[in-house]
Amino acid sequence: MKLIRLSILVGLSFGLTHCSDDVGPYTPINLEVEIPSNFPDLTYTLENNPVTDAGFDLGKKLFYEGRLSVNNSIPCAFCHEQAFAFTHHGHTLSHGVNGEIGLRNAPPIQNMAFQKEFMWDGAATHLDLQPIIPLTSDVEMGETLANVLAKLKKDPEYKTLFRRAFGESGINAENLLKALSQFMVMMISSNSTYDKYVRNEDNVQLSPLELAGLYTFKSKCSSCHAGELFTDQSYRNNGLPVNPKLMDKGRYAIFEDENDLYKFKVPSLRNIEVTFPYMHDGRFQTLEAVLNFYDHGMTNNGNVDPSLLRPDGSYGIDLTTEEKESLIAFLKTLTDTEFLNDERFAEY
Amino acid sequence: MKLMKFAFAAALCILFTACTSDDSTENLDGLIGDISLKFDNGVGDQDFIFETTYTKSNNETYKLSTLKYLISNVRLTDDEGNIFEYPSDKNVFIVDEADSNNAGEIYITLEDVDAANYTSITFGIGIDQERYLKGADGQGDFLSIAQEEGMLWSWATGYRFTRFDGVYTSGTEIEQGLNIHMGSVGTSIDNYREVTLPLPTEARVRPDKITEVHIKADISKVFDGVTSINFSDGYSQVHTSAETTPVIADNMMHMFMVHHVHNE
Repeated sequence: MKLIRLSILVGLSFGLTHCSDDVGPYTPINLEVEIPSNFPDLTYTLENNPVTDAGFDLGKKLFYEGRLSVNNSIPCAFCHEQAFAFTHHGHTLSHGVNGEIGLRNAPPIQNMAFQKEFMWDGAATHLDLQPIIPLTSDVEMGETLANVLAKLKKDPEYKTLFRRAFGESGINAENLLKALSQFMVMMISSNSTYDKYVRNEDNVQLSPLELAGLYTFKSKCSSCHAGELFTDQSYRNNGLPVNPKLMDKGRYAIFEDENDLYKFKVPSLRNIEVTFPYMHDGRFQTLEAVLNFYDHGMTNNGNVDPSLLRPDGSYGIDLTTEEKESLIAFLKTLTDTEFLNDERFAEY
Repeated sequence: MKLMKFAFAAALCILFTACTSDDSTENLDGLIGDISLKFDNGVGDQDFIFETTYTKSNNETYKLSTLKYLISNVRLTDDEGNIFEYPSDKNVFIVDEADSNNAGEIYITLEDVDAANYTSITFGIGIDQERYLKGADGQGDFLSIAQEEGMLWSWATGYRFTRFDGVYTSGTEIEQGLNIHMGSVGTSIDNYREVTLPLPTEARVRPDKITEVHIKADISKVFDGVTSINFSDGYSQVHTSAETTPVIADNMMHMFMVHHVHNE
């Protein structure tokens, strides 16, 4: 009887701890960050934090780790779900610990290695430092770096994993943030129908409707949603009526510069089909609502982007019913199902 | 030894099947729990935001600074057809967008609800004649709350069921006053309406569990519902008219839907 019980216990403990059994020195294997041929250069300085198998695996584990939050149950992935291009599905404003509600809609995590700045207002200027913001925000994860590290240090598995990835320096803030960056640097979405079309891959063609949408897009949208990332990475005020409940002044919060009032980062449009609701506060649930807003919903809140000024003095982008229909068809060609289902980034 | 193994196996079975076990044998008699109704106002496929301009049919636009309505007589029907009615003296609520959290969600919590698996919810929009005729009797503090919230005319006229205050624009009429204060008018007009909404999944009310029913309210239906109304044709000021108030009341019957249910 004892033997059987013992073997069950051994089996169980093996199942739970096999990851931390190999305690010997480990030489991490470098992973190549492949830059898609239609993409710009990386902005992330890989030399300072080369991606390795062990670093990436650790970063992924941390991304799904509830202990990064004060109640041990809100991981990064809570607001960044893979199936929705790492956004908080269906929520206008993203939620955090203790039922707190944030001020903005969680943006997607994709192609971060090509971004110069992060967050809707550009509050983070380096990818390595970005996670500190949600981790310490009272309405997101409500923790401190020191306390997270203390929690991780109590876990033998993390001791092993940090050592595998970063050697003797082990568990510290730098390595925690570098591991998260390594995971995020690899999250490149570049295999949408549109990408295959522009790269002449697999004979992928766009339908006449999608091509009409691409044409409209180039003439009416691409001055801001520019290039293959579909953002010029600038901050602009697009004439959204200000929500008096939130009084979110956008980038003004960073430098308190009047010229930055109500400006938010021009978002990428990749995987836009699955990242609803839209805008910094998630006020629009459909792409139709977004395009209707650009056609006739803008208000002059005092600092609207000059590019949106019409000859008659009002703000907006004229879009016919046909143009809206084709634009939406085109935007859906930016959906990258390979990325949304990529097992490298999946929790299970 | 066999006994131990059996016990271990049994424990495992319980562990893995607890979530899917058949509740028909579960005895819920005498048990109670709470259920939270989350109201989320929207306009078509947009979130409702104060001071934001929305376009209705015939290109009229409107923006609101006040958005409130009365809900009463909440009842829940379970999978066996039993009806739970919340105690009458507490069963009247003001859904006020100004009370919402940052995400625009307004919560009404019903306490001490019979534990059961509920499949639909019924509630009234406004105040029924029976409650109105009771006067102050059995209303708890609601009379004074309604008065403070601007949801009451003089007593002879009764409650305002809605308070949509703002401005509308129609052609050359720019930013004119918009005030929809529909209610019953004494006993001469009864604008109380009830709606029953099916729940997409059962709301399983249990002790110590949080059950949440997310109700979406599409404000555009108030103006573009069964009947599309024009602000410029007498619908910018809706108060006690026998012609306009029932139209708004009927339109409001179709603005609600249960989007989803959370069972913790």
